[in-house]
Amino acid sequence: MHIYIFGANQAFNPILPATGEIIWSVISFVVLLALLVKFAFPPVKKIMTDRTAKIRSDIEAAEMARLEAERVLAEYRSQLEEGRKEANRLVDEARKTAGLVREDLLKRAQEEAADIKRRADESLIIEKERVMSELRSSVGDLAVELASRVISYEIDRVSIDPLVVQFLSEVGATTK
Amino acid sequence: MFLLGSINFPPIGELLNWKSILFGGSALALNKIGLITIAAAVVTIVMFGLAGRGAKLVPTGLQNVVEYSVEFVTNLIVLDAMGPEGITWVPWLVGMFFFILFSNLFEVIPFIQMPATARTSVTIPLALISYITFVAVGIKKQGFGKYLKGALIPKGVPLPLLPLLIPLEFLSTFIVRPFALAIRLFGNMLAGHLLLVTFAILSEALFVKSLLLIALPLPFAMLVVVTGYEIFVSALQAFIFTTLTAVYIGEAMAGDH
Repeated sequence: MHIYIFGANQAFNPILPATGEIIWSVISFVVLLALLVKFAFPPVKKIMTDRTAKIRSDIEAAEMARLEAERVLAEYRSQLEEGRKEANRLVDEARKTAGLVREDLLKRAQEEAADIKRRADESLIIEKERVMSELRSSVGDLAVELASRVISYEIDRVSIDPLVVQFLSEVGATTK
Repeated sequence: MFLLGSINFPPIGELLNWKSILFGGSALALNKIGLITIAAAVVTIVMFGLAGRGAKLVPTGLQNVVEYSVEFVTNLIVLDAMGPEGITWVPWLVGMFFFILFSNLFEVIPFIQMPATARTSVTIPLALISYITFVAVGIKKQGFGKYLKGALIPKGVPLPLLPLLIPLEFLSTFIVRPFALAIRLFGNMLAGHLLLVTFAILSEALFVKSLLLIALPLPFAMLVVVTGYEIFVSALQAFIFTTLTAVYIGEAMAGDH
């Protein structure tokens, strides 16, 4: 009984809508829209706006951090420069001070050395004089003793030496 | 025709006349078309529900797809057709887009292979909802008189032409628009469905008939190509329907265009 090609069947018109289909499609579409608008869409939209806000704030924060970093860097640079100057100044000062100290020490050492030398010289002179005087006295003693010994020897010899006797007589003769 | 005589092309009516599964005989009769529209709605809701529930700041998987589609509707449909004040319509239009898209896509889903939108029972209500919405928006935003005046009387038209133009504008805005919306979607999807059915029946018939087996690759290749093409058409028709709705609502909101 079905001998028709496309569309020949008049029992069911493919263009006319069917009541049940209309009702179900309208129900599903309206329920979909209601659920979507009320519940399902807002979280998705929220995360998207959150992301946009986060990206924006991240970019702003990054920009601020960059500016802050630049500021800090400049500050550090100037501090570093100041520190370097200060260090140079300190080193110069230390060098100067060290020079002064060295000169002072040198001077004092020289003075001390001179002092020591002077004192040594002085004590040397004193010692020398003491030794000389000692020597002098002992030389005197020795000379006296020698002289006395020579004299006693001479006196002994007078008794035995005719020459002396003669000399003595001659001396006596001339002194007369 | 002799060789193909035994190929039984079913009548279109038979391809579209689905038996009711529930509530048969009553006005609430639920058949395959009704199930497909329910499935389209459920898939959309589940998709957004899952994407929104596990929403992360760095999106992955499904969330990416959903967010991309929202952005697509926002940028390419709403902002283009309605401007920034149309942004409140985004969820509404996203729902419409996905409902139509999934209703269309069941055309190529194996074992279902029926676009719900190949029935005027689905496209006419959708077009009517779109129609009622844009008319309501126009009246609410501009007031009845001003909206009607803006819609019917084009600016800068000489007075003598108005008697001719007003009926034309009325016809185009208030009668042709919803009709065209419904028929465009219905016609495209029905045609696609019939193409797929035709090539499927041809392939099946040639597979059985030994002599004509050599000709099988042709309709089968066409079946594959048309299936791919229908996926494209599904997305395109959903896009067109949603865009036109957005344009109409945007027009009603803005008034004079």
